[in-house]
Amino acid sequence: MIVTILELRARLMRFLQKFQIVIEPLVKFIMAFVVFRSINNAIGHETHLMSLPAELLLAFLGTFTPPVILVLLGAAVSLAHVYVASPLLAILVALLMVILYCFIARFSGKYGYVVLAVPILFLLKIPYVIPLILGLVATPMTIIPTACGIIIYRMFIVISTATELESTTVIEDILALYIDVIDRLVADKQMIITIAVFSAVIVVMYLLRKLSIDYVFAISVAVGAIFCILGFLFAGRLLDTDLDITSIVFETVGSMLITLVFQFFRMALDYTAVERVQFEDDDYYYYVKAVPKINLAIPERSVKKISAKAESEVPAQPQKREEVQKLSDEERYALGEELGEENEENGEFF
Amino acid sequence: MLNNRKVRLMARLAMYEQKEGREDIRLSKYFRTDYVRLQVLKTIVALTIGYLLVLLILVVYHSEYLIRNAVVLDYQAMIVQYAGIYVIILAVYCSMATIGYIIRYRASRKKLAKYFRMLRRLRSIYREEDGMGPAGEEENIGYDSDNT
Repeated sequence: MIVTILELRARLMRFLQKFQIVIEPLVKFIMAFVVFRSINNAIGHETHLMSLPAELLLAFLGTFTPPVILVLLGAAVSLAHVYVASPLLAILVALLMVILYCFIARFSGKYGYVVLAVPILFLLKIPYVIPLILGLVATPMTIIPTACGIIIYRMFIVISTATELESTTVIEDILALYIDVIDRLVADKQMIITIAVFSAVIVVMYLLRKLSIDYVFAISVAVGAIFCILGFLFAGRLLDTDLDITSIVFETVGSMLITLVFQFFRMALDYTAVERVQFEDDDYYYYVKAVPKINLAIPERSVKKISAKAESEVPAQPQKREEVQKLSDEERYALGEELGEENEENGEFF
Repeated sequence: MLNNRKVRLMARLAMYEQKEGREDIRLSKYFRTDYVRLQVLKTIVALTIGYLLVLLILVVYHSEYLIRNAVVLDYQAMIVQYAGIYVIILAVYCSMATIGYIIRYRASRKKLAKYFRMLRRLRSIYREEDGMGPAGEEENIGYDSDNT
């Protein structure tokens, strides 16, 4: 069973590597399309942007530009929708976005796209994937873009309820609406709870996965998920907010499974073949624990042609030998390199 | 004939140059103090803009109260209070930004040093190919250590 799954993984990896040049843009395109689709579904007011050609065009744009452009496009589309519903709120949202960028989002570095991913995953009902995956692969610095994403998501929730209220252009009413929105944003307990719990999950998982124990990644995902559920339960009680715990539990479990699959494809480790060595040099004494990665060789399917003509089999023989010769050449070279002076090239470089 | 060793080295170098290396190489044009100073300056500008916008939102939020009490407000105390908050936030941000950007600069330098080691190795391969025999330890290009 496990061998079959591992074989499947190896096959899939090889397939992805082989067609990377096609698959990478395709995945990016689908992701960009999902982004714009979700935004349109959630706060769609501008009908031109909601048409399929517009969505496809935007997704196409997002495919061939760096991630930061996709984030900006997402923000622009959201602003356009809000603008159609209420120009005043659009200005407020734009101001808040700039403030958010100035104060925190500009420190998110290469994880800037998380800011966009959080609201989208909230809309797709699997937001807990974010802290679980970030806890697994990133540093606690990613709390910054995560928090920004949560703030933006909650902001749009407040805004979308507020846009329904606005139908007047009297200045006093506009001011009242503005004050109402700010009040609701500041008093949004769910936002605070979510930021706190997500941050805690990222930190806990980060600390946990540094430990040198077996199955540490799976354990940290599980602990992160439990921490997430308990955190929402506890914080909900503490701040007296009625959270839908059942859906949180189900969504967390779903997110956990997605994260485990992600981890399986990222790295499969063989804890049954752990090697421990101890040695010393002039300055240190080393305790080394090495866990081998599972790299299953895909069994080659050999198709044996059975035919009446015997001549078709004859030329296959020398060709095969040549291949073997080639392979062994490379292998010999690789071996020599590993042992020799060039070994630095072979290892993980950066 | 293709030199596998060279191809592998060049592929790695190109991979680095096109991804994270781009930032590192851009960063290598600065001395550490210059880099950190520039980033802190950027932080100060961003923070000032952000703070002014927050103040703007606050002013509009309290506009009714402000207009009603425009005559009796203690403007001096208000300015001192908000300037004080600004200075405190600025101090916190600047110190954190300084530490953060120093760490980032160091990390980038380390990666860059590795990159240059590989470049040197590539050059020695070229020399070998030209028939000049294996080159010994190359001259130091000056990127191995922190330039402060």
